[in-house]
Amino acid sequence: MSDDLPLSPEEGDDLLAAEYVLGTLPLPERLEAEGRLRRDPAFAARVRAWEAHFAPLNDDFAEEPAPDLMPAIEARLFGKAERAPARLSPRRWFLAGLGVTAAAALAGVYVLQPRPRPMLTARIATADGALIFDARFDTAKGTLTVARVTGPDPAAQHDYELWYIAPGKAPTPMGLISAAKGKMSAPELAAGYTLAVSLEPAGGSPDGKPTQVLGAGVLTLA
Amino acid sequence: MSEDGIADLLERVATRDRTAFRALYSATSAKLLGVCLRILGNRAEAEEALQEVFTRIWLNAARFDAGRARAMTWLIAVARNHAIDRLRARREDMAGGGEDDPFATIADPEPGVEAQLVARGEARRISDCFDTLEPARAAAVRGAYLDGLSYADLAERHAIPLNTVRTWLRRGLMRLKECLEG
Repeated sequence: MSDDLPLSPEEGDDLLAAEYVLGTLPLPERLEAEGRLRRDPAFAARVRAWEAHFAPLNDDFAEEPAPDLMPAIEARLFGKAERAPARLSPRRWFLAGLGVTAAAALAGVYVLQPRPRPMLTARIATADGALIFDARFDTAKGTLTVARVTGPDPAAQHDYELWYIAPGKAPTPMGLISAAKGKMSAPELAAGYTLAVSLEPAGGSPDGKPTQVLGAGVLTLA
Repeated sequence: MSEDGIADLLERVATRDRTAFRALYSATSAKLLGVCLRILGNRAEAEEALQEVFTRIWLNAARFDAGRARAMTWLIAVARNHAIDRLRARREDMAGGGEDDPFATIADPEPGVEAQLVARGEARRISDCFDTLEPARAAAVRGAYLDGLSYADLAERHAIPLNTVRTWLRRGLMRLKECLEG
């Protein structure tokens, strides 16, 4: 899609911000705009301005009573073993915390808490759910395990390729994952990074960029 | 719940207050599920998206700045952005893309000023400004915002060649901006 409007850089930026807010950009440009949003305050301000411009349209989104998904959300964020604070007020939590700290200080010991090994997970799925990969990143070992839980082998003469996208960065190739399960060393990964799978010609992306993104997911604490 | 009530909850979420996080879910999940459902058109996927939306809200709440945006606008932007990410990741939307480089540009020297003006009520004028667009362009902007229509969808719906639909919509956006800020 070429663009024949004569634009100043400012106008081009502003239109890009509007297109990002509208959501019309194709995924690669959209991801690029998201990256820029994080590192370019001027662009972020343009995006906020357009969000405010369009905000009155938000009244058109009908409310849809949601089931209680908090247990699943809290399990994703805080782990299953750790339960949300029950009914202590923030003040009582503060006092309880002070008590523990003071007791530990008096005893001259650290308060040791058993910690599960931190695991990050991401689910990478096509929108129709026909192809799903589950990724687990062991932060202690720096290893990533990717398993295809649903979906076919890549078409003939094609491969699935895995990518990671650090916030504000372009996708970085991580290798082919055409086998049903694979493990790789990936010490550079961190929570909040996006993992994506693309369909590539056999052997992988010819130009270092994803050819056809099939799905993406964000690494979050398991 | 009032806008101030939601902004207050969101600021408490930024301090890792899980009780506030639950209250925020109770107060806003119906609206945010409505956003996901309208864009994704599929209840199961919308509920999955809602989980991711609240995960992002918890992780990013500290980025909310009450001086720059309304809380509900911010929350809906998180939900819309995630729903549209999912939509764009669908295979059929991967075609197309600009050949121009919209990123080789110069930064605005005064970020934030315009956003603050807008956040204080300037945005009310958008419905009036839609009237200054030709009806098809106004419908396209609304369809993109509310239903997550891509350029390919818009080209089909408005019978415009795919290679010109972006310019067509951008002209509408420029007109809209002139009206909003004129």
